[in-house]
Amino acid sequence: MSNDFEAVRRKVALRFREPTKLPKEIFSDEAIYREELQRFFYGPYWHPVAHRAELPATGSFKTTWLAEVPVILTRTADDEVRAFINSCSHRGALLEQRRCGVAAQFECPYHRWLFGNDGGFIGAPGRKEFRSDFCETDYSLVPLRVAEHAGLIFVSRDSLAPDLQSFLGAAASPLADCMLDDGRLKLIGYQKVIYQANWKAYIDNDPYHAPLLHAAFRLLNWHGSKGQLITTRPYGHMCILYQINHYVDNGFLNDPSAISFLGTDDRARVVALRPVTGITKHLDTINIRFARPLGVNRTEVSYAFFGHQDDTPEYLEHRVRQSSNLLGPSGYISIEDAAIYNRVQLTTNDGGYARFVKGVGKPRDQWSQNDEASNTEWWAHYRTRMGFAPEGSADG
Amino acid sequence: MVSYLEHCRAIDELLGLYALVVDGQEWERWPALFAEDCYYAVVSIENVEQDLPLAYMLDDSRERILDRVKFVREVWAGTVEPYRTRHSIQRTMTMDLGSGVYEVQANFLVGYTLGDGTAGMLAMGHYEDQIAVGEEGALFLRKVVYLDNVPPRYLIYPL
Repeated sequence: MSNDFEAVRRKVALRFREPTKLPKEIFSDEAIYREELQRFFYGPYWHPVAHRAELPATGSFKTTWLAEVPVILTRTADDEVRAFINSCSHRGALLEQRRCGVAAQFECPYHRWLFGNDGGFIGAPGRKEFRSDFCETDYSLVPLRVAEHAGLIFVSRDSLAPDLQSFLGAAASPLADCMLDDGRLKLIGYQKVIYQANWKAYIDNDPYHAPLLHAAFRLLNWHGSKGQLITTRPYGHMCILYQINHYVDNGFLNDPSAISFLGTDDRARVVALRPVTGITKHLDTINIRFARPLGVNRTEVSYAFFGHQDDTPEYLEHRVRQSSNLLGPSGYISIEDAAIYNRVQLTTNDGGYARFVKGVGKPRDQWSQNDEASNTEWWAHYRTRMGFAPEGSADG
Repeated sequence: MVSYLEHCRAIDELLGLYALVVDGQEWERWPALFAEDCYYAVVSIENVEQDLPLAYMLDDSRERILDRVKFVREVWAGTVEPYRTRHSIQRTMTMDLGSGVYEVQANFLVGYTLGDGTAGMLAMGHYEDQIAVGEEGALFLRKVVYLDNVPPRYLIYPL
């Protein structure tokens, strides 16, 4: 913990009296951001970094980032998914620069060191002249912990992270619903965007917000159905479970085909996994939003869309049309969310608070889908984990 | 040969008019640049290289193009943060497919300026268009925008 942070922590703690009233500097302070990387991104949490559908065959790999740490994921000959820091164990060059591909081995271009896709050191030119105590096993790629749920691949750098099922808690089941239970998904592509927003401002406003934001709902005469809300403790994962409502054509659109529901699985789900991943199953779309902080006020989100391996070609084509237009960063509906992340971030230096009111004070088991109280489980956890809450507070 | 050059001039006028209309945000005129049967899509080069069919915007009929105008004009206005764009378009390849239809490629750079005057590069990439040239000029049968970069903000307007 840096001295910079300790000074900030004391000041913020004085203003952060309850998890329903957020001092806005938590979204804009550089020292807080650096500390969050250590405590959340490199700390005892699990981070979704890929779905198995992105590693379609043995030998497949994907490169990505855990905050500022480059990561390479591989699917090895024994069909296990492994994760390593994507850095040569010799002098630290980025080992693989392609986004994805198939490779049994990775060769560093700098001194031609060679690694297997299981992370092991295979060999290097001039090996005989290496220092006399050179031990090959000391030069494997640095592994990350890997766990999987319904095909979703999670990594953690921290040996103290609980097992994945304990981490997910009651969010495990809605999450599997999003992955169509068996997790046999088929990747249909990515929409990437950079938001001018802190990572917490992004996730706090993405999976849950009141439908009031969406003019599209009003104009399309599209009413949400009553949903079930699940929040977990201590992490504050949040899940909204509801049934897909068929769109009734009111003549607003010239062609409503892209927003019609053609499937048979009418479970709609919105899941926010802490610290920063949103997952949705809505109409015929399946979407995992892999987010990565790029600094205190920038967040890159890679919206990955999927179908199922058993989809007919016609149904898959419909999924592509719908996924392309509805819930990505420029989607009919979600573009309005995108605007809010930026607009929230723009006011974070005014010394004020972001406040939660709807549903606050009601017993937890009476929170409904549209009660913003549901976000505050996470904020209680965050406040404790960052040392902003008085010693001995709950939800640590 | 005269006809080919005349057709090229009509194609360049269409590309120029396209920039004028989208940068001028004259969205009612945007569909009029397309033929009756038409297709507009914005795709990322990353997806294309991986053979992935997802698009950023996918309007595979005139109705969908008209609906996009409705969203820009009626649904999102007031919520999204508007920006001004400036398209720079350079035709790089023109192939005669016969019957007055051309396969045209062009590079584009799109700069953007926010309300507070800050500016940057929004998008870079290339167009792959099918353009029909007739008596009254040229129209897009199909326009696919291949995006090279991850946009530094969410895209509101067609590129």
